[in-house]
Amino acid sequence: MYRYDSFDRQFVAERVAHYRAQTERYLSGELSESEFLHLRLRNGLYVQRLAPMLRVAVPYGTLSSAQLRRLATIARDYDRGYGHLTTRQNVQFNWPELAEVPDILESLAGVDMHAIQTSGNCIRNVTTDEFAGVAVDEALDPRPYCELIRQWSTAHPEFDWLPRKFKIAVTAATTDRAAVDVHDIGLHLRDGGSGGALVDVKVGGGLGRTPVIGGLIREGLPVIHLLTYLEAILRVYNRYGRRDNKYKARIKILVKAMGVDGFRERVEEEWRALEGTPSTLTDAEIQRVASGFAPPEYPALDDAVDLLAEQRLANPAFGRWLVHCVHPHRQRGYAIAVLSTKPTGISPGDVSDRQMDQVADWADRYGFGEIRISHQQNFVLPDVPQRDLFELWQKARDAELAADNAGLLTDIICCPGGDYCSLANAKSIPIAEAIQRRFDDYDYVHDLGPLDLNISGCMNACGHHHVGNIGILGVDKKGLEFYQISLGGHGGNGASIGQIVGPSFSRDEVPDVIERILETYVELREGDESFLHCYRRIGIEPFKERIYVRAD
Amino acid sequence: MSALIEIDHRRAERLDQDPATLLGPDEWTEGSSAGLLLAVDAEPEPRFASARLIAIEFPTFHDGRGLSLAVLLRTRLGYRGELRAVGDVHPELVHYLRRCGFDSLVLPEGRRLDPEDPRLAPYSDYYQASIAETLPAFRRDRRGVYHRDH
Repeated sequence: MYRYDSFDRQFVAERVAHYRAQTERYLSGELSESEFLHLRLRNGLYVQRLAPMLRVAVPYGTLSSAQLRRLATIARDYDRGYGHLTTRQNVQFNWPELAEVPDILESLAGVDMHAIQTSGNCIRNVTTDEFAGVAVDEALDPRPYCELIRQWSTAHPEFDWLPRKFKIAVTAATTDRAAVDVHDIGLHLRDGGSGGALVDVKVGGGLGRTPVIGGLIREGLPVIHLLTYLEAILRVYNRYGRRDNKYKARIKILVKAMGVDGFRERVEEEWRALEGTPSTLTDAEIQRVASGFAPPEYPALDDAVDLLAEQRLANPAFGRWLVHCVHPHRQRGYAIAVLSTKPTGISPGDVSDRQMDQVADWADRYGFGEIRISHQQNFVLPDVPQRDLFELWQKARDAELAADNAGLLTDIICCPGGDYCSLANAKSIPIAEAIQRRFDDYDYVHDLGPLDLNISGCMNACGHHHVGNIGILGVDKKGLEFYQISLGGHGGNGASIGQIVGPSFSRDEVPDVIERILETYVELREGDESFLHCYRRIGIEPFKERIYVRAD
Repeated sequence: MSALIEIDHRRAERLDQDPATLLGPDEWTEGSSAGLLLAVDAEPEPRFASARLIAIEFPTFHDGRGLSLAVLLRTRLGYRGELRAVGDVHPELVHYLRRCGFDSLVLPEGRRLDPEDPRLAPYSDYYQASIAETLPAFRRDRRGVYHRDH
């Protein structure tokens, strides 16, 4: 992974000092609440329902074991012994003291980490494929470009005070695991042969109140122009994005108002003036950053087909974990393992300090000291020797990190919701748990096949409900918590926004409604058709009929 | 009373003179001795390049449009005169103003900036190119030296 040089280190150290001085000015009364708000947000600090919440950046979801151990230490020393993995591949702490945050940031800086721009109306943490660098279907490793974007967007002189938050996602694989179609900017990198990488640029996707699939504005841009092209997009957005209404301030609203073609014209006009300016990337800089992501020296191993077959025969539970949580690796003899944070009864994404330490140890023992966080809020160990999978599974099982549900119904994406978040209309964690409890039969869940169920506690859509095959949204109905259900959303290739089935339900009704939706699918599916394919073939009506007829 | 302050790399100088007369783009004409006052959503017009002073008025300190407008005046129009931030200007954000080409500001009452205020330059260097630093770090020697460090 990328290693900070003294330039990076100095910047982060100065950022800590800068924020410490701002915190002191706030505590002494020199800065008002509303002035300090903008400053603390740009350093990851929200003030939530129960306490402040600090969001730590995990750039493009890649962590070293030393960094993860430091997060465990922070969870112990400054929090209540746990942290939360977010859908933007970051880590949140829910119980820090405002006055102690500069100390936490200093501790993070000690392992080359920070919380810069993890909230506020600025360019947020760049996200990517959690299998980047080891996926079998990728053209190139997208992370060097993510790191270049991270550096470019950090304390940018012009783009730190945007109309609204701004999220960039990057993929370089055939299967889009980064949901690039529903980001403010979605970048798809391709191998351009000897001329270097090419990038397709989509703009104006997003979830929230107005879910939109991004529009393609540039195809095959040579990657050396990446930063100047982003500069052109951000300048158009910074100048013309709405600032009068926070719900209409995202770039998707501007792109809609101008039309994708109109927006493209504006960007291209701006870019013509920027093409070739000094921000154009150099091969040397791309190489410098990419060298940090060079593949490790993999000891040569053979595929462990026979051994794994034997082990799974003796341990069916291990077999199930292999099917759902282990993915093919580009290197012979290795595998990618997903460590699910979603056993029934645990808030999705919550991990204890002890679990963080254990995962860090496994990353060293069964890999090269690297860990990923996926936008599904799970840990990923990218380089596990196949012959060690059984041993890893046993340890993960003991640590409650081996739920065999990755990609299945109960691998729920869920925001913190009304239990923690001051924006939420409704709780989301108890809904996730109720669904996990209702569908605790492995064979049934396995038979349903791949299924994304996503829950958000409000319209801000942190739980990505719009792109869940089944989406659940908490709404406020005359002061009571209700849940609106949508079907057919999808965040990967050929993304789609879910369609609302109809009037919302009370919390107690939700598991029954989900059950009827699943019954409908099981009854009407053809062959091994997935839920999403079935939905796309038959549409929403058969589901509606069964949900509401029986609800009457 | 509000103070006119000149900002330099690490220094702020409080000036005694009264802020100059400022006219909006409809009243202001080329060759005018008055300064030109622009709203943050103004479109940069080529004639503005001849102004002696352009003031950009920030409706709130966290409205970034004035930063983009300043960059366009400096780069697209090649404006070389004084660029001043007025309105809801905040000392915490002075380092952004400086990097986007502002060289003076008028602070509202109750806000102050000392001559050696650390908020003028909280960082010794930045990644990006800006009006104050025309090359991004990766094109500068400094970064190259750092690079050879490790």
